[in-house]
Amino acid sequence: MPVKQITSTCAYCGAGCQISFTVDQEANQILEAVPAPGRTNDGTLCLKGHYGWDYINDPQILTKRLKTPMIRKGGKDSPLEPVQWDEAIDYVAKRLMDIKAKHGPDSIMCTGSARGPGNEANYIMQKFTRAAIGTNNVDHCARI
Amino acid sequence: MSNGVHEIEDAALLFVFGYNGADSHPIVARRIVRAKQKGAKIICCDPRRIETARIADMHLQLRNGSNLALVNSIAHVIIEEGLTDDKFIAEHSTGFEEFKELAKNYPPEKVAKITQIDPEDIRKAARMYATSGRSMILYGMGVCQFAQAVNVVKGLANLAIMTGNFGRWGVGIGPVRGQNNVQGACDMGALPNSYPGYQNVTVPEIQAKFEKAWGVKLSNKAGIPLTQVPHYVLHEPEEKKIRAYYVFGEDPAQSDPDLHEVREALSKIELVILQDIYMNKTGQYADVILPSTGWNEHDGVFSCCDRGFQKIRKLIDPPADANVLTDWDIICRISTAMGYPMKYDNTEQIWNEVISLCPSFIGATYEKLEKYGNIQWPCRSTDMSDTGTSFLHKDGKFANPDGKARFSSIDWQPPTELENDEYPIILSTCREVGHYSVRTMSGNCRLLRNLEDEPGWVQMNPELCEDLGVKHGELVKVLSKRGSCIARCLPTDRVKKQAVYMTYQWWIGACNELTIASLDPISNTPEYKYCACRVEKIEDQQWAEKYVLEEYQKIRESMGVQKDKGGKAA
Repeated sequence: MPVKQITSTCAYCGAGCQISFTVDQEANQILEAVPAPGRTNDGTLCLKGHYGWDYINDPQILTKRLKTPMIRKGGKDSPLEPVQWDEAIDYVAKRLMDIKAKHGPDSIMCTGSARGPGNEANYIMQKFTRAAIGTNNVDHCARI
Repeated sequence: MSNGVHEIEDAALLFVFGYNGADSHPIVARRIVRAKQKGAKIICCDPRRIETARIADMHLQLRNGSNLALVNSIAHVIIEEGLTDDKFIAEHSTGFEEFKELAKNYPPEKVAKITQIDPEDIRKAARMYATSGRSMILYGMGVCQFAQAVNVVKGLANLAIMTGNFGRWGVGIGPVRGQNNVQGACDMGALPNSYPGYQNVTVPEIQAKFEKAWGVKLSNKAGIPLTQVPHYVLHEPEEKKIRAYYVFGEDPAQSDPDLHEVREALSKIELVILQDIYMNKTGQYADVILPSTGWNEHDGVFSCCDRGFQKIRKLIDPPADANVLTDWDIICRISTAMGYPMKYDNTEQIWNEVISLCPSFIGATYEKLEKYGNIQWPCRSTDMSDTGTSFLHKDGKFANPDGKARFSSIDWQPPTELENDEYPIILSTCREVGHYSVRTMSGNCRLLRNLEDEPGWVQMNPELCEDLGVKHGELVKVLSKRGSCIARCLPTDRVKKQAVYMTYQWWIGACNELTIASLDPISNTPEYKYCACRVEKIEDQQWAEKYVLEEYQKIRESMGVQKDKGGKAA
């Protein structure tokens, strides 16, 4: 079993704990998470740090992992139908451009994410909002 | 935070205000314990007897919603008893004379009926804070989630300025930020008024810099805060309405206040886009779903609560049957399709663009993050010897144009919705140690879900339970002017009789059905910590238990979970 140790940062609170993950790369599975020596966590982890990665296995306890792009093709009350990425991207781009043309860029609101996506994804989202749409209507869930 | 998490244990006094570290940041809370072991004094200001209160030298169990009255009163005592650091005030601040006038109105004896704290305790706490030599303030959502929130933060800053507790190791003021990358989302400019690196969108030179970098004309009008979206959908005239809402990695239909209003807004928006890893409540209103990679499936940088940049690393590939893309790739593709091409090969390319535009981040290269593990901004030089900044305001230099700290003179104001005959109890939201946010991550972890499950608890003082005739574990109905939900009664003497507490991740015990969308005028943070509610006994417990089970199953199915999967409510 080709097992590798990889260090990453916990995604569960602002403490920024460093975690050493044991990963079976052939089986594409995380096997274990133990504390790593980080500046803030100093070699300790809480329960979420130790056990909070299992969601990635999609055990479907609460909700289901989203695995394909989907569109409500028949309007608001129709079911979400799986589509390919090209169709989803074209659909979103076209509808956003239509709304922008009709009501102006300030009629569109985007959010960043304070959770797992990371800083680069947030940078791209605010750049997209400001440069491609043309509004400063971008914010995130900082207040909850 | 103005200081690093690792400095907490070296403070001589910790003033912990509206911050329950044991539940929200267990590993930061360990530093509070270690500070105590190393001899620090601890003052805990919280309406609940939280874990910190149990090890504190003083617990100021203030009445909910009286924060600024208490803070101004502590300032009053520090001034009255001559405990101010006059040299620091003279050299590094402005506005003290005006503040002194305001503080005169807050003698401990006068505020006692607002704060419900013995005046002698306020005097004692003020002396301890002012004379320790190294006092550090830690605060959390018990300060921020009020309609008067930013002004309380300014009030706490007043205390640190007047006693010279800024700009040194082990002092300062620490908003211990909640979500793992809330600092990062702010750092990156996912804010309606600032570009990355806290560069204001209304300043012409900054606008010009970003226009040049991005090759496009930009708007100089500050945007709409997220918490005002329902208002902009439901109450603004046609020409000002929000018509498209691109929701990325969050779930306003569960996490935002007054869910009835949120749902009404979501159902009226022409186009709702949800980009996430799991189906959630907001997804039920989405016209388009864009599935992305989760934490552990992509690379990047997070910012922790004390300005520390750290790498996240891809550990595994997404499941073989998942047709998902990284978040940044999805957004780049949409942007390109809209005629503004964005193309990057990896996160390092994006990061290099970020730091090239932000003077405070420019030295935090991937190379340094790999080598040192952690860089706290500001880090202004790419030279390998610049490893970042542990504490801000060294030598009393502050971020205002004159380099000085400003005193703020602001009066206490009561919360928006006070208790009344129909709703006689205060409802405050709080945190659950085993679960996180709307729990699409933690609730889908087999071990963590075993800690707590639907419908969640409502913490109630034992006397209140007795008055209502409800026992531990019984299902009760909690109601406010805006809605109702069912939760399990948890009698606990940690809370006073006048207030009950609930956590916000439950679908059935959804306390945001009850909370009020009254916002702080500056931060736009909702008053999650105060609204009026009522708790009712449910006579037919058998019916209620059945309702919880059926409702849980129904919602899970609406989220796409197969019938035979998962588990039942606890």
